[in-house]
Formats: sequence, C-alpha cells, structure tokens
Amino acid sequence: MPTDSTGSHIIRMVLESHFLVIRQFCCYTRALRSENKVTVSFINRDGEKVTVKGSPGDSLLDVVIEQDLDIDGFGACEGTLACSTCHLIFDEDVFNQLGPITDEEMDMLDLAYGLTDTSRLGCQVCLTKSLEGITVRVPESVADMRESDFGTTSSSS
Amino acid sequence: MALLKKMRHLHLRILPVTAENRHFLLRTRGFHKHSTCQSLPAVEENVLPGNFSAAAVGKDGPLKTLKDMAGPSTISNIIEFFFRDGFSRIHEIQQQHSQKYGRIFKSRFGPQLVVSIADRDMIAEVLRAEGVAPQRANMESWKEYRDMRGRATGLISAEGEDWLKMRSVLRQQIMRPRDVAVFADDISGVVTDLVARVRALRGRQPDGLTVLNVNDLFFKYAMEGISVVLYEQRLGCLEERIPQLSLEYIAALHLMFSSFKTSMYAGAIPKWLRPLIPKPWEEFCHSWDGLFKFSKVHVDRRLSEIQGQLAAGQEVKGGLLTCLLVTKELTLEEIYANMTEMLLAGVDTTSFTLSWSTYLLALHPQVQQQIYEEVVSTLGPDKVPVSEDLPRLPLIRGLVKETLRLFPVLPGNGRITQKNLAVGGYLIPAGTQLALCHYTTSLDEGSFPNAAQFLPQRWVRKDATDRVDNFGSIPFGYGIRSCVGRRIAELEMHLALTQLIQKFHIQVSPLTEEVRAKTHGLLTPGAPINVRFVDRQ
Repeated sequence: MPTDSTGSHIIRMVLESHFLVIRQFCCYTRALRSENKVTVSFINRDGEKVTVKGSPGDSLLDVVIEQDLDIDGFGACEGTLACSTCHLIFDEDVFNQLGPITDEEMDMLDLAYGLTDTSRLGCQVCLTKSLEGITVRVPESVADMRESDFGTTSSSS
Repeated sequence: MALLKKMRHLHLRILPVTAENRHFLLRTRGFHKHSTCQSLPAVEENVLPGNFSAAAVGKDGPLKTLKDMAGPSTISNIIEFFFRDGFSRIHEIQQQHSQKYGRIFKSRFGPQLVVSIADRDMIAEVLRAEGVAPQRANMESWKEYRDMRGRATGLISAEGEDWLKMRSVLRQQIMRPRDVAVFADDISGVVTDLVARVRALRGRQPDGLTVLNVNDLFFKYAMEGISVVLYEQRLGCLEERIPQLSLEYIAALHLMFSSFKTSMYAGAIPKWLRPLIPKPWEEFCHSWDGLFKFSKVHVDRRLSEIQGQLAAGQEVKGGLLTCLLVTKELTLEEIYANMTEMLLAGVDTTSFTLSWSTYLLALHPQVQQQIYEEVVSTLGPDKVPVSEDLPRLPLIRGLVKETLRLFPVLPGNGRITQKNLAVGGYLIPAGTQLALCHYTTSLDEGSFPNAAQFLPQRWVRKDATDRVDNFGSIPFGYGIRSCVGRRIAELEMHLALTQLIQKFHIQVSPLTEEVRAKTHGLLTPGAPINVRFVDRQ
C-alpha cells in the first residue's frame, strides 16, 4: 500500500520536523500568555462554583477541557457547531460585552436546553482580558431532568 | 520557508485536533462506560428490561410499555407498502399514521419493530439523551460489502469507536463554518459554470428560456461542488463533454439511487435466500464497486501528486484530502471509505433541495422578488457573493431553511436507542429502532403557523435574541451524529441560489404541472421540474 512507501515516509519526516518548530513556537507564546491569564468562574449544575484560569483567545469550551472540569456531556461536538451542549448562561452586563453572535450559533442556541436571553455557546465565546473575573452558569442538563423524572425506580439504568 | 508557511497553514488546521486529542481520549473513556450499542438483543415489546422490573415511573405516572402503544397492524403495513407502493409515500403515511395513532406509534416491518416519533419535543428528548456514539440504523449490508471487499467503513456505515474516531477527525476539518468558508472561492468557481450551463441549456429550447429537468443540472453542480471540496479537483460535470471517469461515477451513483429500494431489500433478504434472488445484492455490490473505484482513483492521484511534490522539494498545498493524507489520522482505506460515503451523501441531497428551491421560487414570484431585492441591495447586480456576504443575506438562508422545512430531503431519520428511554409516557427499551418523523413535525401548525405556505421570511430574526426555530425542522439532524457535510451543503446552496436569483428571474415553465414529493430513500421531486431562467438585465 502506498502508505508504507518512501514518499509518505518523507511526508512524515518533513511534517514532524516542522511540527517541532511550530510546537516550540506555540510553547513560547503560551509561556508569554500565561502571565495574562483570565480568571473565570463556572457555577456547575449542582451549584458548586469552580474558579479557573484560561488564556486569552481560548474559548470557554477550551477552558473546560483544559482544566478538566467535570461537566457531563459538555461540548459533545468539540466546538464544531453541531450541538448546543456547551450552552452557558452569562450575567446580562457580561453578555452584552461578548463578541458578535453568528447565524450558525443562533441556530444551535435555538436547540439548547434551558435557553435564556443571556445564553451563548461556550465554544463560540473567547476569553479576553476584559472578561477577567466573570462568572458563567452551566444550565441544568437534560440528564438531571430525566433523573428526577424517573424517580428512584430507574436510578440503576 | 514557503513550505514552512504552508505547513503552518496545515498545522493551524491540525493543531486543534492535537489539542482535542485529550478531549477525545476522555470521551473514549466515557464511551466504554456506555458502550451498549453493539449487538443488542432484539426488542420484545411486552418485556420490560431487567432494571425496570418494577413499574417504571415517568413524570406523569407509571410508564406504559411498547405493548400498550398504538400503531398499524402488520397486515395493513404489508398491504400499504408492498401492494400500494407505500415506499414512495412514506412521508405521507408518516403524517396519516401520526394523526391516527398519535405522536408516538409503533409499526412492524416483518421482524423489525419501529417506534415512530412525530413530535418535536419528544424528538428533542431523544436527541438530547444521546450518548457519545449514536447509532442510526442497522448497517449490516453496508458492512458486509465492505468486509467482503476488504474495505473500511466510513461515517455512514461505521459504528461505535470506529465511527467516533473518524468523526472526530473529519469534523475538525469540515464542520466549523470558518473552516468551510475557505472553500467558498472554489465553490464560486463552480457556480460560475452553473450559470454558464443554465445559459447553454436554455438556449437549446424553442423558447430559449427553459431548462428541462433542472434537477439533472443541479445534480451535476452538487457533484462538482462536493468534489472540489473532497478531492480538491474539478471533475468537469458542468462541461459540454463530461470526462469518462466522471460519467462512470454518475452511472454508479444513479444505479445506487435507482436501486435504492432494491438495496434495502439487499439488506433485508436473508443471506440464504440470495442464491434464489441474487439481483438486489449483486446490484448493491456493483454500484458500491463503482463508487469506491471513483474515490480510489482520485485519492490515489492526489497521494502521488503529494509524493512527487515532496520528492521535488516543493511545498505541499491543499485542503481536506491533502490534510488527511499528510496527517495520517485516518488510514488510506478509511480515507477511501469516507470520501466515497461523503460524496454519496452530498450529491442528491443538495440537488433535490436546490430543485425544490427553484420550483418554490418560480411558484411564488412575490417571495422571489423580495429575495432578489435583498440580494441586489446587498451585492448590486453583478458582484459575485463571497462567504462574508452571506450573513447579510438572511432571506437566502431563510430560503434554504424554508425549502428544507417543506421538503426535508430526509423525511425521517433513524436512531437505535442505546439505553432505556422514557418518551411520551412510554418506556422504550435499549435497542429499539426509532423513526424520527421530520416530515410530519416540519409541517406541524403548532410549530409553524401557516405550515403549508412557503414563507422564507419566517426564519429571519428581528435581532440576536429572537428565537426562530426549534426541533420541528432539523433537516441536518442535531448533535454529534448530525450531517457532517451540513456547512458545505449550506455554502453550496447559498452561493448558487444567490447568484441564480441575482442573474435570473426564475419562472414556472408551462411544461411543468404541480410537482409532488415522492420518497425514494430521500424526498425527491415526483416529476421533472422544468423552469425558465429569464435574464434580469
């Protein structure tokens, strides 16, 4: 198969060497950025508040993943605008200073569970210095609702 | 340096994948927890699953079982489908049954029990409860062909972890609107050819205006458009003389489509009966051979180009296919399979929707005028639209959404439940085949007032907090198993319709009577749509 041919071996080598360069470059910029981290608090579904730091330019979904925050089912489509599971609720003043909202995000928000007037998708909101100290709320999930629907009978499912 | 620059471009597209790898691993870990989709036992409708042995309780009291669910009898289904050609009216039968039996009902097709859901809120519940690798339907026959030929499965035919791995790679390339916007220039080039082709074809008719069977033209447009994205190459489908290889592919695609019913039987006919009724399976394999061959030729061509460029020390530039070949996140066989399945999924779907759009525009001159005015006030009479223009053309977006609401190209979609589910007061056991009745919900008055009317305006938002749609019309599906080509298809349709409306006044041809929808796997125009393209200037 051509995958094992010399040509593709070359591709791999060339790519690897360049990745190395770029990766080093990224590490460098990341180190620079770490001084400028933005603090964000998430209020989880159970009301618990978790405060973490994220880099400017990262989306709130990136922050949730990088900080390994345990929010069940969050960001199922990995930020590709195919679902609305990274739905977050903002305070009104914060919501008003967030960047513009695209048609595609609005379409997905229409399908979000527990939608509010200050809802956005976490994958579309990127951190900036001006968002320092914001608090965002994770809406109740469908799973929570279902759990209470079933009562105790189905807790084993 | 140039190579580095290019690699950086590639890398910029790849980097998120590496960043997501951890995410992916986390998900796969989760996946093992709910990996219930493999070889589920056949669902017995009167048996409660083990962990529901006590009466299960829903929010409105005890849950009913499938045994309590209403639905047409097996006999009436057989008569409807086999003796009254119900297959071509599945969308209408869906509506009739939901009126008769309720918004959730069961049907039997031989041994197969199907629970149909024709209610937007229940559909939302089902889709929101999905696990990490939802399953659409039984894809055994597809898988059997691939095993037989030593081929891999692609996004349509793969399940479980195989599917999740491929989806994770492909969605990072072609699902984000900003990534897809990169293809706009290439697609615009195809639109230019489409417009030229309209002029050439109408010139052959006595009135100098009519394009006969416009779907044939849109089929070629859609094939050319998706190939530019998938294979990074023009195929010449819109030229006067279509290259032989592309003609062969079109023939294979037509065979796959025309034998759709047969290929359903190919899966339904038990293996031991095949010697007696060999044709469906043979045709099924034959058309797949054609589709795979085409993909293999184009993928191999690109691979050898890349190898040649690297050997000569040239920079490697490219899009989706190049990226897949270079990064090797998918094996070569997986690339063949996904290119094949994405091409298969991306041609008829787009062309039918474009055909219906032009038909609806022709039937509704006032609506067309309104959209024309929006296009001209945004672009002027001549400017070729680019992807940045599209947010300023809300009626074009509304046109596509409204077309897909009235004629959802997939009138119903499938899901196999992966865990026990409480929906509509019923307990649906894991392993049940669900049919989500999109045709019925998208024509529901409760969700869409004046549902039978063609009103693209209904999708235009007053402002960013104006909520317009809901689960009633989700033509591309929702969630992680939704249409992977959605953004590409939207781009192709938005760019084509904008230019067609900008350049032509689209009118119904006297040759066309009322065209009704027919189900043939997809929701298709039941008769040729002939339209007149009259120059605007």
